[in-house]
Amino acid sequence: MFDSLGHLGGAFVGFLTPHTLFNVLWATFLGIVIGALPGLTATMGVALLTTLTFTMPHTEAIMVLICIYVGAIYGGSRSAILLNIPGTPASAASTLDGYPLARQGLAGRAMGISTSGSWLGTLFGILCLALLTPVLSELALSFQSFEFFWVSVFGVVVAGTLAGGDPLKGYIAGFLGLWIATIGQEPYYNFQRYAFGFTDLAGGIGLLPALVGAYGVAEVLQAMRGPTVKAVVNQLDSIVPRIEDVLKHWRTIFRSGAIGVWIGILPGLGEDAAAWSSYAAARRASKEKELYGKGSIEGLMAAETGEASSVPGAIIPVLTLALPGSAPAAVLMAAMMIHGLNPGPNLMVESPQFFYEIIAMLVIADMAKLIFGFVLVRPLITILLVPRERLMPVVFVLCVVGAFAITSRVFDIYVMLVFGLIGFVMRELKFNMAPLILGLVLGDLLEKNLTRGLVLSSGSPLPFFTRPVCAVLAALTIISILWSIPAVSNRMRSLVRRTPSAPA
Amino acid sequence: MADNSELLPHERPAPPRVDLWIAAVFFVFGCAAAGLAFRMPTYADQKGEIYTAPGLVPGFYGIVIILLSVWLAVRAVNQGALRGRSETAAPAGPKTASDLRLVLAAGLGLFFVVGLIGRVPFWLASATFVAMFTMLFEWRRGQPWPVRARRMAEAALLGLATGAAVTLVFERVFYVRLP
Repeated sequence: MFDSLGHLGGAFVGFLTPHTLFNVLWATFLGIVIGALPGLTATMGVALLTTLTFTMPHTEAIMVLICIYVGAIYGGSRSAILLNIPGTPASAASTLDGYPLARQGLAGRAMGISTSGSWLGTLFGILCLALLTPVLSELALSFQSFEFFWVSVFGVVVAGTLAGGDPLKGYIAGFLGLWIATIGQEPYYNFQRYAFGFTDLAGGIGLLPALVGAYGVAEVLQAMRGPTVKAVVNQLDSIVPRIEDVLKHWRTIFRSGAIGVWIGILPGLGEDAAAWSSYAAARRASKEKELYGKGSIEGLMAAETGEASSVPGAIIPVLTLALPGSAPAAVLMAAMMIHGLNPGPNLMVESPQFFYEIIAMLVIADMAKLIFGFVLVRPLITILLVPRERLMPVVFVLCVVGAFAITSRVFDIYVMLVFGLIGFVMRELKFNMAPLILGLVLGDLLEKNLTRGLVLSSGSPLPFFTRPVCAVLAALTIISILWSIPAVSNRMRSLVRRTPSAPA
Repeated sequence: MADNSELLPHERPAPPRVDLWIAAVFFVFGCAAAGLAFRMPTYADQKGEIYTAPGLVPGFYGIVIILLSVWLAVRAVNQGALRGRSETAAPAGPKTASDLRLVLAAGLGLFFVVGLIGRVPFWLASATFVAMFTMLFEWRRGQPWPVRARRMAEAALLGLATGAAVTLVFERVFYVRLP
């Protein structure tokens, strides 16, 4: 206990240097701006900054990325409240009550609620991360290839089922991502799969150029296609959060925090699912249901707390299982790998100090977010007024630099363009991108563990089903797939609720 | 049940006919992926086991994509993909304008990557791209001359500032190589 507190204290002290604090300030500010600008998301921000900070020492680079992540998820609520347009998908639930509050002349109060809810949500998530990560890491240390295979499959399937939209298309996107991960040299014989004689393709598809394309270029195209948006609020009331707003809704804060962490832990779901689920749960439990959608303080608080607590929640499986809980967490995991860290159960064994550093980074980023929440209101309104015709070409230039930066291959810029097109078309066709990205991230892990498991069992698939954790994960995967079939899920719900099902 | 207007764009369902086309594309893709995978060597002559064959895993993914596309096709047909088509047609006016913006943005992006990068210094390439992008998207028919000239000057200035800032910040601060 005291040992852990000593490590944590050491991590905080290590970060309290002018250089690190300067990095925290600019990165959190940039994150909030990225989140606030419609069309730029947390995933894109983290992906771009991953490529641009890879020459930094690993703690500094990961600190910058965590600040971007925390800041962007919070920043999205600014445009949700002022423009009725979520700056990031995570803030979509905040538009429902944030914008009506702004129209009632309470934009400042709405932003105060957003700031306090988001700050408390992240703190709650950090507490859960600190308590759950060592326990889950301990459990994951007993996992072998068989279990890791199922963890990967479960991740892709759950992301397909629950990430929002059509589960069937989610599965297709997930398996497409897994297939894309097989392009290039395979691990046993170095055979070049799907390379068609191209040397660049034989090197495989870089995760970060693909992510910058799928989230950056695709978003530039979507933003330029959509209608122009304008801020409607010119005058602001006080932005200082009211203590009564926090105290009155403490139950909502705890409930939404817990939901956010849980959804964050589930692979690939992310902050938007956390915000919607927290909002729905708060509405169900509320005594003021009629206010929801018309400017409910409670509703806004629930959405903001839920999305913010899912950020540390999404990092928990990264640290324990090498399984990202959200799309930005997937990029963060890739960044850790690039910096020579080994996310997963061995992280606590190989670099235990890094776990405490992550906690310290999240706390410092959360504090910076709180400060900017008070001082950045008017500058952010000015930034929101920058026309997209001037912003998007600059973003595109940054995407090109980001895609090229890591390996200095022009081929990666083409990969970025192709994935930008794929991302745009798939979104237009109502595909969710989270399973595709998760498939791309987990493809290597899944294949290596499947093959290693089969080698260990001399080709017998039985251990994949008979080992206890494997059996549970296999069952959960099958239930998850069945749940996405409406006829089966309706039947299962009727069995649980003990109500007679409708005659066929 | 939630109102469709409260759903995120990706949560609103696509028309069944579109889903049928998607299924067809993924069916062909899955067949190609699986077909190519099963033509990969098994290395049996080097005592390789079937479960280490390079084509096994991608072939499996190809088959799963085929099965999922068949599932999608069957669902689309059950939802009326082969029935009438008029109800899904969108109004032409605003869609055409937004499609034009999309094509212009994509075209300019392609021109930047294929036509400018590697042929001129990166600062000049990005300055040209940003200036062109801004000028073309801010071009309005019947705009008064002085306003248009001012917009063009601002676009050129933005381009130059972007080119200079990107080059200085990334090369000098982040030590990142530029294309």
